[in-house]
Amino acid sequence: MTDRSDRAPLIEMRDFRYTYLEGTPRASVAVRGVTLEIQHGERVGIVGPTQSGKSTIVDAFAHLLRLREGQVFYEGQDVAAPGYNRVALRRSVGIVFQRPDFQLLEDVVGKDVAFGPTTAGLPAEETRQRVEESLNAVGLDYKEFRLRYVHALSGGQKRRVAIAGVLAMRTPLLVLDEPMAGLDPRGRRELFELLMRLREQRDLTLVMCSSSLAETSLLCDRLIILQEGQIVIDGPVRDVLKETERLSGLGITLPEPVSCARELHQIFPDLPTDLLAEDELETELLVRLGARDA
Amino acid sequence: MLELQRNVIFGQFVDTGSPIHRLDARIKLLATMLLVVASFLVNDFPGFALLLPLVVLIQVVSRVPLPYVVRGSSFFLGFLAFILVFQVFFYPGEVPEPSVLWRWGFLSVSTEALRFAAILGLRVLLLYYVTTMLMLTTPLVDLTNGLELLFRPLQKIRVPVNELVLVVVIAIKFVPIFIAEMERLSRAYTARGVSFDEGGALTRARRLGRLLVPIVISGFRRADLLTTAMDTRCYQGGRNRTKLRQLHASSTDWLLLLVVAAWVLAAWLLPDRLGA
Repeated sequence: MTDRSDRAPLIEMRDFRYTYLEGTPRASVAVRGVTLEIQHGERVGIVGPTQSGKSTIVDAFAHLLRLREGQVFYEGQDVAAPGYNRVALRRSVGIVFQRPDFQLLEDVVGKDVAFGPTTAGLPAEETRQRVEESLNAVGLDYKEFRLRYVHALSGGQKRRVAIAGVLAMRTPLLVLDEPMAGLDPRGRRELFELLMRLREQRDLTLVMCSSSLAETSLLCDRLIILQEGQIVIDGPVRDVLKETERLSGLGITLPEPVSCARELHQIFPDLPTDLLAEDELETELLVRLGARDA
Repeated sequence: MLELQRNVIFGQFVDTGSPIHRLDARIKLLATMLLVVASFLVNDFPGFALLLPLVVLIQVVSRVPLPYVVRGSSFFLGFLAFILVFQVFFYPGEVPEPSVLWRWGFLSVSTEALRFAAILGLRVLLLYYVTTMLMLTTPLVDLTNGLELLFRPLQKIRVPVNELVLVVVIAIKFVPIFIAEMERLSRAYTARGVSFDEGGALTRARRLGRLLVPIVISGFRRADLLTTAMDTRCYQGGRNRTKLRQLHASSTDWLLLLVVAAWVLAAWLLPDRLGA
């Protein structure tokens, strides 16, 4: 039994469909049959334009929607089965919502980060330790920020507090829903560096939703591209980046090197587009320029 | 998961494009007022029985699905049932001994009390139904315009009609917003380890209490935003404001209003006449 659940994927969806306010005149279809598996330790980016069903999919991971049986599985077990321990599920799936204002429940930073551990009934000392550790991990000094009011923080700081609140739960799965939305360039860069650090330091399974490939392609190993509630591409980052035409047709922001390479295709038809960093593009260009000179 | 949006439809608008939706908003408002008055005037079962076909007609013609309306009223219906139980047990009027059906200490059930509670229930149901249908079939803008036009004569005696209508409309509009907000907040709590879908009824009700303070705070925040939005658009109580969409009441609309008026009169007066 344990052997089987060891091999089971962390998250599995089988033909997952979801309609908001189903059966009412105000119903709206969000997801139209998504099948996917996410393995332990994977880093997956779910990318698609707005209204493509990203948030609905990740909400289903933690059973935050009314689900039918046989659609969503956590470690091989149907989360919608009667008697399934949903409280335990939500202590294993940590979701950072799109808008931190929707997530922060307490007035003071320290109290908010402690919310999850306290609710889970952890002893005070361990809670305090986790709060300190989580705040430091997201780059907010524990002593300085512990007693700050949440409403007085900047957008980027609020998002960090939200992430710290989820980190303090020590969930094996961390889900970030549009973490870069609404941040200025500096906030984006700082958050990106923080996520890179988390990715290296912790043994986490990471799922990140975004409408842009810019950060996602660097943070994730695998990309799932969504359109109107269906998966259109699913594969390793570099394979997905080769499909530039399809991606830009979907209205997805491409990473800088990829869009550069796409522009340069008229001059260098053989220039690859599965480029993650500027220096990869530089190397490819130098090779071609050198070859032309020679 | 709390699915409040499904269970509370108060203040929502559902466009089915039915003839009722196309009626002039003023006519609908007047017809609603007539039916509201009827709910107070009609005082016996035959009267309500006479009104039933009208209600059925409204329901069918509006094409708003009945299960949606019933489900969307479940909170309200539960509350009403709760109140009516008390009405029966603590009936204030004089009760002749033969009509007492059951007694235990100071609690009693009598035919008078049952009749009283049933009539009261029907009154409240009718009141709720017609106002809900008015909102389900009328866009908020038309509702505002209609109310403003209907009450415009009061401006002559310095009643701030525009402002009052705005207050009413905002109050109605805030109900669905609050409901959505409650749902969103409960999701945030659920994601962070407080479940609203586990435990007994009492535990769940107690947990719901945790949402109250954040809801009120967000209400204030919204009100702040709304005043800023109104200021930036130079809102000044509709003075000298022209309307893009003018309301038009055709002769058919007026005829329909007449029919409703006649129906209400019949429901009020006929049972007495026939009885006498």
